[in-house]
Amino acid sequence: MSLLESGDHAMERILRDWKYVFFFVAPALILYSALLLVPIFWSMGYSLFDGFPISGFRFMGFGNYLRAWKDQDFLRSFWFSAKYALVVTPGQIGLGFLLSLLYFLVLKRASRLSVLIRTLVFFPVVLPTVAVAQMFVKLFEITPQYGLVNAILDVLGLDGWIRPFLGRGDTAFWVAASMNIWTAMGFYAVLLYSGLLDIPQELIESARLDGASGWNLVRLIITPLLRPLFITSTIFSLNGTLKVFDQILALTGGGPGKSTTPLTLYMYRTAFHYNQYGYGSTIAVILTIECLLVTGILSFFRQKTE
Amino acid sequence: MRKRLFFTPFIILLVILEAYPLVWLVSSSLKAPYEFTTQPIYAFSEKLWWGNYAKAWTEGKIGVYFRNSVIVTFPSLFLVLFLGTMAAFGIEIMRWKLKNVVLFFFLAGIMIPVQMILLPLFVFYYRTGLLDTRWALFLTYVTYGLPLTVFFMTSYFQALPPEILEASILDGASLIQVFFRVAVPMAANAIFTLAMVQFFFIWNDLIFSLTFVSKTELRTIQTGLLNFVGRFGQIEWGPTFAAISLAVIPTFLLYLFLSRLIMEGLTAGALKG
Amino acid sequence: MTQKVLKLAGLCFLFVFLGALTFSALAREITIHYLTVQQENEGWPKIIKALTEEYAAQNPNIKWKYEYVPQLDLMQRVQLLAAADSLPLLFNYESGAPLFELIKANKVLELESTFKNLGIYEELNPGIVGVLKRLVNDTGLYALPLEMNIEGFWYNKKLFANHGLSEPQTWDELAEIAEKLHQAGIQPFAVSGIQKWPITRLINGYVIRKYGTDVMSRVIKGELKVNDAGFVEAARWIYEWGHKDYFGPGVNTLDYGPAQDLFLQGKAAIYYMGSWALRDFNNPEINKIGIENIGFFNVPLVPGGVGTLEEWNVNAGLTTSIAHAKFAENPEAIGNWMKYVFSHYGDRAMKELGLITGFRVKEMPEEVPVLTKMVLEKLATVKGGAFWFEALFDARTTSVAWDNAQLLAIGTMTPEEYLGELQKAIDEQKAK
Repeated sequence: MSLLESGDHAMERILRDWKYVFFFVAPALILYSALLLVPIFWSMGYSLFDGFPISGFRFMGFGNYLRAWKDQDFLRSFWFSAKYALVVTPGQIGLGFLLSLLYFLVLKRASRLSVLIRTLVFFPVVLPTVAVAQMFVKLFEITPQYGLVNAILDVLGLDGWIRPFLGRGDTAFWVAASMNIWTAMGFYAVLLYSGLLDIPQELIESARLDGASGWNLVRLIITPLLRPLFITSTIFSLNGTLKVFDQILALTGGGPGKSTTPLTLYMYRTAFHYNQYGYGSTIAVILTIECLLVTGILSFFRQKTE
Repeated sequence: MRKRLFFTPFIILLVILEAYPLVWLVSSSLKAPYEFTTQPIYAFSEKLWWGNYAKAWTEGKIGVYFRNSVIVTFPSLFLVLFLGTMAAFGIEIMRWKLKNVVLFFFLAGIMIPVQMILLPLFVFYYRTGLLDTRWALFLTYVTYGLPLTVFFMTSYFQALPPEILEASILDGASLIQVFFRVAVPMAANAIFTLAMVQFFFIWNDLIFSLTFVSKTELRTIQTGLLNFVGRFGQIEWGPTFAAISLAVIPTFLLYLFLSRLIMEGLTAGALKG
Repeated sequence: MTQKVLKLAGLCFLFVFLGALTFSALAREITIHYLTVQQENEGWPKIIKALTEEYAAQNPNIKWKYEYVPQLDLMQRVQLLAAADSLPLLFNYESGAPLFELIKANKVLELESTFKNLGIYEELNPGIVGVLKRLVNDTGLYALPLEMNIEGFWYNKKLFANHGLSEPQTWDELAEIAEKLHQAGIQPFAVSGIQKWPITRLINGYVIRKYGTDVMSRVIKGELKVNDAGFVEAARWIYEWGHKDYFGPGVNTLDYGPAQDLFLQGKAAIYYMGSWALRDFNNPEINKIGIENIGFFNVPLVPGGVGTLEEWNVNAGLTTSIAHAKFAENPEAIGNWMKYVFSHYGDRAMKELGLITGFRVKEMPEEVPVLTKMVLEKLATVKGGAFWFEALFDARTTSVAWDNAQLLAIGTMTPEEYLGELQKAIDEQKAK
């Protein structure tokens, strides 16, 4: 008994040793503070100024924020990001869910086919985004030659559908959205599939015995059980879609016009092409607040469901 | 069985949608220049035109970009895992007052968009002369990868029964020994899963390398590819497809080897929490 | 005593002086560092490098250094270097509003006085010098005209002849021609929408005929607004042509090369471009319709306009400037280098590249390609030069003009909206 106590005591002493805490935590913390925390506040500071290093800075107060409120381009980018997130996130998770049901209910779990399909559907997740985007550019090309999609439309005699998909804002939006869904749905499929595997087999068996099948099984048993995981997935997905940058830059460059420019790209252009560091930071701050708000609200819901 | 039959068309469609674009990509990369105009775009080429790859690799400098990506990815990956695991150990296993505050600090970083730190880092690297060097990328990748690493590894250590580590402490091992000889080997699988996630993050980064590096000889595969397509994209289809394939193939090979582990990692994953 | 000290001091001084002299002569390397968007073996760098190496054969302390920067990164790179006071001796930069910013910060060498001091001022073409000076509010000459371009409509003579068309004198005739071609199933215009500026050049063409060559300076001064009637007419033409598909499908997915290919492969009849395109026109690998099949006409006249056909859109392309600080480090040696290079530049560029520059050509090569000859003749008759549309815009206004032009060209943004947003951007630019 006394040995254990002294052991606890020794343990306490060792685990409370500041030198070791410092040794383990300090390197990461210092790097993290210097290159992530400080820049966050630095950006917040910039957002109150106008200018850039060569011309000097001028204090603006909240002038940049007021300006964003009236800036057509900002509002358009904001709206584009929102629309994009509202289409892509449900698309990713919805299709991901359908796929996970396919894995879970239709395919035999350990069968080669099942593994093969899961592996295949997941693959685009890990591909370099620029490569995927460039592939889509080629898929949807119209000049100088038809890309795959227009060529197939041509062969099928659907001439009326042949169009410059990436040359117009409305169609470019759908190409961008479907590209992202195509890329990411495999990830959510595996994530939700792992949730499905956690559902006790008896629960499903007994529901089946009660006569629930197919659609009812999904609606009454599976969906409610997966709710926390759905919310987690949504947080994950929104974090990707609200911050989308690479794919759009490589697919459309934000065009035509600014019709497919998300906030992230608008921030980048403002800062690095127009040399407006202050206003660029303002956009970054707004974007950050947006992400934190969305995450906060969803986390709140998750806690309520748990 | 009827069920299977009912779903078969869907499964076939799914496989086509996922695989065909990639097959098309690779088959197009082996076409001769004239075949793009004389043959339908979906036709396979008669002869394999490897010259496209040679052109993409040398003239398009994809080889250089590839090397740069390797040079910058692996050290960053190593350091982010090392520092992050250490920090997670210090936060989760050790007992001190501010640990929850520090943990919160780290976790807050997960939600921060890149754009929020981009300009200050740009100015900082510029002032310190690190702009247009690999150091800028290396430091940024390590830092930006820390929050996820700390988050992932603290949840791992949290789930660990405390007796295991405490036993070795009672055996008289120092904390540093415990960390390297017990904690890290035990966490090897978790670290490996995390390494894969981080690898794809770093390897596929575009915005940092676009912002911090403008010299051609330092570009990574993503920015290099963007640049390549900008220069050759519409005129030389063959080399463009070859360049895209070159960017895809290493990831594909790596994925083939690791896909099962990735799936298992995700299925067992801390992400569900 | 004092004399002795003085002698000694004098001797010491002499030694130090001589030492310094030999030291500077031996060890003081002067690096001719050129930051440019062109490849080292083509265009301006090729010629300057060759001349510098010739000069260095006699002056071994001169070293050549080439640095490439992608056009997209140029502005950002130069601004950073300027902020750090480390601009290289030679650097590419936009000769309009952006250069004016650097001039105000005293970063750029004034070239008119420098060239006069060196006695090589007469090497420069006075017309293009005037244009370059006007681009920076007549504060002086700060950019080298390493090339000189004239812009206008190139057309496919055969396609015109096949359909009984001739060079238009008025804008309405141009529109008729386009309509006839379109009816005949030929794409009237080849335009690169990805590059964006080829679209605004068409608007610019119309308004310089309407208001005169100084139209954009007057816009910046506030005497004109871009939503005035003449601009609306101009933008309406583009909008309508876009609606009628005169620019072909996928104009906004078409890059510079493929758009030019449409023209040079006979798939589009008319192509607005600067004479820098001669390099590709003269290359039979690229030009499939043949040099003899290419004609050239100026922007036609518009109803009620003050412009004439002697006025052209003339420019020096992306210009090269000299860093003031680098020059001041060693004005004499760099001056001598300049004297050598720039008194040979015009001849060499013409001989080796067929490049028309803002420098005098003393010996015209015997065989000048026919189109180059024609452009030289046209240039000799230029009575007034206009800027391009965005010359006086800052980066943000330029992007408003460019990005929205894509929407105008496919008819998803109305002329009024386009010009309204542009005027707003101009107002914001002026407020700064």
